[in-house]
Amino acid sequence: MSLRSLRTLPLAAAAILLSQPALAHEQADVGGGLAAGLLHPLTGADHLIAMVAVGIWGAQLGAPAIWVLPITFPLVMAFGGVLGILHVPLPMPEVVIALSALVLGGAVALRLKLPFAAAAAIVAVFAIFHGHAHGAELPGSANPLAYGIGFVVATGLLHLCGIVIGTLTRWPAGERIVQGLGAIIALLGGYFLLHSLGASA
Amino acid sequence: MRRTLKHGLIATALLLAQAPAAEAHIVAIRLGDFYAGALHPFTDLQDVLLWLAMGLLAGSLGAARGRWLVALFPLGLLAGLALGARVGTIAANPAIDAVIAVVLGLLLAAGARVPTVLLCVMAFALAALRGAANASDLAPNTDRLLFAGGLACAGYAAITLIMALTLAFRGPLSDSSKDSSKDTSKDWRGIALRALGGWIAAIGLMMAGLAFAS
Repeated sequence: MSLRSLRTLPLAAAAILLSQPALAHEQADVGGGLAAGLLHPLTGADHLIAMVAVGIWGAQLGAPAIWVLPITFPLVMAFGGVLGILHVPLPMPEVVIALSALVLGGAVALRLKLPFAAAAAIVAVFAIFHGHAHGAELPGSANPLAYGIGFVVATGLLHLCGIVIGTLTRWPAGERIVQGLGAIIALLGGYFLLHSLGASA
Repeated sequence: MRRTLKHGLIATALLLAQAPAAEAHIVAIRLGDFYAGALHPFTDLQDVLLWLAMGLLAGSLGAARGRWLVALFPLGLLAGLALGARVGTIAANPAIDAVIAVVLGLLLAAGARVPTVLLCVMAFALAALRGAANASDLAPNTDRLLFAGGLACAGYAAITLIMALTLAFRGPLSDSSKDSSKDTSKDWRGIALRALGGWIAAIGLMMAGLAFAS
């Protein structure tokens, strides 16, 4: 894209934002639903660290995990989201979500090189539980569709953050930083696990 | 440079100050129905999501396959709008919208080489469905010709822009239809587009869940 065409973007954005047409089927609280969906994975620390860990682990594993993960993870998570929307119960969701941070953080810290199928299976199970937690809150949102868009985008961006952090593994010092980060995620996951076990006991 | 910036700021302030007054005049001379038709689809998330998915899929398949949509998509919108206005209110079905989002998202995520004819049929059918859904809000006093003109222009502009941006993002090296010897599936731009497909399919899946739950 040329610099000249980029210069026209602010003008186009202003033209769209300034227009106030007859909006016959304006949907209710799209902004609120979108913001709630975007913030949900970011405000839950257990979700946040697990999603970042998925991205880092994918980067550590290399191809094909690094590009299969961001493509398939949202789909599997959405499947869990549908289970949550339909109120299909899953066993101990809070415990498994905390466990996901512990396991994924541990995998990053130990540079665990599992076969792709095994890594994908582990991530898929955790994705269903994370999606379930998001989906359970979806119907209560002001605009469920906007909420769904928000949380899928936020989750994808968290993976991207993880993948970007994972690129540090190209350098020996970066590898140690990434492993240290994995250890911190695992410790936090352990804390959340103890907390959730204590809460459910 | 500083002087240009100052002039730009003054021009922006003037634009902001006079925008609502100018709009009232357009509505008063009934051209408002054109703008209502043009902006109506952008007030519906289903329209936004499905148009985006269609444009991304067509753009990812290359210019040779996607260029037919420049004409077919607005024509489909017009056909759907005409059908909706003639038959009466055709309520948009969330389950159908969800299935379309899942299918388009999965095709994009899988990097499927959809044949041109199938792509055209899909685009026309989607446009007709969304055109009919947009007809549901036609009021008795709406100038239907202006509304249809606005909707068709919006469809043309949106699908062309999305396809063009997708093609520009992918870059010429990613056009595997020109050089089949190059495996472009590992190219990060192609992966980013496929990841977007995964996101769209995921959103569609949740739309389906919501449709079944309600």
